[in-house]
Parts: sequence; C-alpha cells; structure tokens
Amino acid sequence: MKSKIMLFAGILMLAAAAIAADPPKSSNSTADPAAISTTTASAERNSEQAENIRAEGEKRFRANCSRCHAAPHKFPPRMMATIVRHMRVRATITDADMRYILAYMTQ
Amino acid sequence: MKYSWFESEVCSKRHTVFFALISLLFLASSLVAQTSNDERPIPILTGNAGYFTNVDRGQTELAPEITPVLLVPMGDHWLVEARAAFEGEFERENGNGPYKGVVGKDIDYLQIDYIVNPYVTVTAGRFLTPFGIYNERLYPIWIRELHEVPLIFPLGTGSSDGAMLRGGFTINPKANLNYAAYFSTNSSVNKFESDRLAGGRVGFFFPGPRIEVGGSFQKELQEDRTNAFGFHFAWQPMRVPLNLRSEYARSHDGSGYWVEGAYRFNQVSFWRPAMRRTEFVARMQQFFLGEETDSSELSEYGLPHGNVRQPDFGLNFYVRDGLKASASYGRWLGTRNWNVWTMGIAYRFALPLGPTGAR
Repeated sequence: MKSKIMLFAGILMLAAAAIAADPPKSSNSTADPAAISTTTASAERNSEQAENIRAEGEKRFRANCSRCHAAPHKFPPRMMATIVRHMRVRATITDADMRYILAYMTQ
Repeated sequence: MKYSWFESEVCSKRHTVFFALISLLFLASSLVAQTSNDERPIPILTGNAGYFTNVDRGQTELAPEITPVLLVPMGDHWLVEARAAFEGEFERENGNGPYKGVVGKDIDYLQIDYIVNPYVTVTAGRFLTPFGIYNERLYPIWIRELHEVPLIFPLGTGSSDGAMLRGGFTINPKANLNYAAYFSTNSSVNKFESDRLAGGRVGFFFPGPRIEVGGSFQKELQEDRTNAFGFHFAWQPMRVPLNLRSEYARSHDGSGYWVEGAYRFNQVSFWRPAMRRTEFVARMQQFFLGEETDSSELSEYGLPHGNVRQPDFGLNFYVRDGLKASASYGRWLGTRNWNVWTMGIAYRFALPLGPTGAR
C-alpha cells in the first residue's frame, strides 16, 4: 500500500514537473530561438544554433531598430522583454523579428 | 518471511531511489521554469531628458525637457504605455533681463495595447496619430538626428483619442508589411484634446536592401471635413553607415517635404575612438502654404505663415549609451531670412520597476 502511495505521489510529481518545465506561452517567448536551449541534444550543435540565432538576431536588430536609433546596451532580460514588446507595438515590428531581436538582446 | 523482508527492503530502496530521481527531476524542471519566468516582462520607467539652447531670429531660448514613459506589461498579450512631456521654453523679455517662460505639460499617449496575434494589435486610449514616421518613431530627443522638428511635422500628426488596429507581418522573405488604421473622437478635455478623425498608414519594408516606403491618409470628420495624405521613405545602405529618411505631407493647411541624411564616421581611419561616435546630419525641407489657410490655425499648430525652405546641418556626438550631445545650424529662407542654431544634450534613461532577472 505504501509503495502504491509513493508510486502515485511520484507520478503526480512527474506530472507537476512536466507542467512546470513547459515554458509559459508568451508572445515574447522566442519560438525558434527558445527551441535551441531545450530540444537540441548535442551541446556543440546547440552552440552552433545559438550562434546562428545571435547572428540572425543582430541582423534583424540592425534592419529594424537601427533604422531609428543607435544600438543601446543590453538591459536585463525582463526589462528587455518589456522594451521589445513596446517596440513591437510602436514600430510595428513583426512577431518573428521581435523574437529574434529579444533572443539577441538577452544573450 | 526473511525473503519477504528482503523483497520488501529492496522494493523500499527502489521506491526511495525512484522518489529521489523524481524529486531531482522536479527540482531541475522548476529551475528551468524559473529561467523562463526570468524572461517575463516587468514594468519599467523609461524616457528621456534634455537641455537645449536654441537661437532663432537672434532670440536665445533655453529649452529643458523631460519626457517620462511608463510601460506596464500585463500577462502575455497586454501592455499599458504612457508618455508625458514637460517642455520648458524660457526667453529674456526684450532681449535682456532674467529668462522667463512656461513649462508645457502634455500627455502624448496613454494607451492600452492588446496583442491579439502576430498580425493584429488593438490599441485603445490616447495614442500618437500614425501619420508618416516622424511622430511615432523619430520624435524623442534622444532619437531625432536634428533637434528642430521638420516644418511639416504638425501636418496630420499629434495625439488622438480613440481606437486603433495595427501590426506588422512578413509577406514573403523579402518584404514585410506594416499598417495602422484608427478612429479618433473629438475631445476638448484638458490634456486630452483630440480631433474627430479616421485614417491609416501602410508601409512596406524590404529587409534585404533595408528600404521602407509607405503612405498615410487622414480624413477629418468634423468642421471642414478635409483630407490629408503623405508618403515616407527610409533607406539604410548595407555598406555605408548612412541613414536616409524622407517624408512628404499635404493637408488643407499646406504641404511640404523633408529629406535627411545622417552619416556616422565609423569607416574613417583617423581619430577612430572619437570619429566612430560622431555623426554628421544634413536636412533639406520646404513648406508651401495652403490656399485657404487660417492664420490662427497655423499659429495653433506651429506651422509657418508663408512659403519656407530651410537647409539644416548638424553634428551628434554619442558620449555613451543613451547620452548624446548635439549642435546644429539651419537657415530659414522665407519672406525674411534668419539663422537657427541649436546646441544641447539628450539623455535616455530606463529604470526597472520590478526584479530584473539574471543576465
């Protein structure tokens, strides 16, 4: 009986862990950029993808943000998330551009 | 019995190990979840402050300014944003004595945005009228290349009270579309003045050559029910640190254009530390008075009372991130001619109003 209770508790905790591990569905959460940190098996490949995301984020930052202002220094991630959401509305930046720029600015 | 005890002991150990593993997994998962939470947006107070000295028609004006911007994100889709402007204009009376003047206080926008999906954002409240690109994107003093706003800036711009749909999305890998469509109501409430308008703006951005072209339209739904329209163009060449922008606007008050180029001395081989922070700006602009214009309306909107053309030249020095020193010279060429000088400093600040998360 005790083992069944422990098994049940374990399954419950596993379910809770799965829910907790699922990142919040945020409009600011990066689809492709976020995927590299959680789904790639190889660390080397992960690093390569991270570099690609960074390069793409920088490219999109220069194409979108630098049209109006000089590059700011990087703010902490939660500040940057607010700024990027603000700029998405203000400068009508596309969803994909915003995700890459956020990933680039928070790396 | 002994075997049973042994079996029970092994099972118990297995359960303990199983429980420990699940606990570790839970802990690790919680840490991952915490990292995700660390990227959730927090409220911030940002904006800019500046102090400029303007000499216009030989009259010196001291113009301190502070423009706080409050950004409050809520959940995954909402954003409340507000910008106030406190702008001082101090001059000597009759050219001597102490400087006197007023501090203008305005609410530029106080709006709530709901990001419906990647294509549509709904905005309600008081917002910057989306006409051309200067009002929404280039107006803050830490962004604008020349401190003096273009002569045609008042045409079609300002703030509106109402609702707006806007967004930007990719049409194909070579082109993005951005748009804004709005309706504004008539308001005479102090600090929330607005005209009854309907209008919109459409822009196409080509990321490859970094070119944006677009147009704006506005219909006044009160008084004379006049129309206004405009076009904008922006280009950032890939190989040269040059930023070219231009706007044209036409309304019943008048019409005109401005063309501006800003060159950053990144590629200059001498005095590199200083030159890479330095930017040269040149702008040419013209304003043509409308045929049926009301003098008081021109004064109210800050428009010239006659045909004017004005070349401007300026230098910007980016001291550090968010801190810029500027100086410019322009020549007003109208029925009478005079010089326009500006010199000052602008600073952009950003303060978190909550835990910022690890970097």
